[in-house]
Amino acid sequence: MKYSSKDVVAYSKAKEYIDTAIIPLIPFSFEDEEMSSLSFQKDVIQIYVDQIERELKGRVFVIPEYYYLKQDKIAEEKERLQAFIDHIAKQPFKYIFLVTSDNKWRKVTKDMDIELIWIPGIKDGHLEQAETQQVIKSQVQEIQTLIMDSWNE
Amino acid sequence: MADKKNQVSRRQFLNYTLTGVGGFMGAAMIAPMVGFAVDPLLKGEKDTDYVYVMDVNEITNEPQRKTFQVDQVDGWYESKVDRTAWVYKDENDEILALSPVCTHLGCTVDWNSNQDFPNEFYCPCHDGRYDKNGVNIPGTPPTEPLHSYDFQIQDGKLMLGKAKARKGA
Ligand code: FES
Repeated sequence: MKYSSKDVVAYSKAKEYIDTAIIPLIPFSFEDEEMSSLSFQKDVIQIYVDQIERELKGRVFVIPEYYYLKQDKIAEEKERLQAFIDHIAKQPFKYIFLVTSDNKWRKVTKDMDIELIWIPGIKDGHLEQAETQQVIKSQVQEIQTLIMDSWNE
Repeated sequence: MADKKNQVSRRQFLNYTLTGVGGFMGAAMIAPMVGFAVDPLLKGEKDTDYVYVMDVNEITNEPQRKTFQVDQVDGWYESKVDRTAWVYKDENDEILALSPVCTHLGCTVDWNSNQDFPNEFYCPCHDGRYDKNGVNIPGTPPTEPLHSYDFQIQDGKLMLGKAKARKGA
């Protein structure tokens, strides 16, 4: 499911079946050096998330992206993110996954009750290549297995 | 006096007529605009588009997963999207092309993927199950069979159209 008017109707009717939330964490910046790589990262994450959503639509809800400024202090960000997560957990969502390629989150989220899915950065501009698409496909598969495994635990 | 009130003066008459015509013209002008605005939403996939998926002589009794691309008009955006079909011949040697979209809440089902339920389509989300004909197994969440694609055969090639709900079961 996505946060779209069509899907939320289905969600409200079947809440008990949709117990897993995915939150994409997306940094952005207008610094010249960072802008192109960050915007590309954002595209990549969206591809991953879309693919996962497509496969697991009936149980996974993709939350609207959590955006933050790249230069923001991560400690302050953590508080805001925690509030965001608390709100989502209340719906309730039993399993919460954060998806990001910003490695600042790795340490910060250790003590949080969520799972961080780390997506390695892909080099700029290669998304159309068959090879890259293969890599993405197999990684999506892995993430899917990871999510399914946590259901079966 | 009462009489006069009910009479429509020439000016009033003209006024009515003009507004009438004006209103009418307005309607005519707005209609096509609404048409444009609503059109993309109504279009969806065209019913008549068939896409080549595989050669008929490659079709086996074991379901094979095939991916193909269709043009889809989704709201305002027109794009190419991937579709998947499980293609095989059933016991009567009839070709079947099933949509992998679980009829419960839309996860993607897999063929023969769960050891506990061999030779079934299995949905990992809430243990939805379908037999080899794609018919939902009672007691599992799905409430109807997997949808099946319309198909055509042209020169030994299997062309798939739209996935539709099936009757029966
Ligand atoms: S979405 Fe397939 S069983 Fe629920």
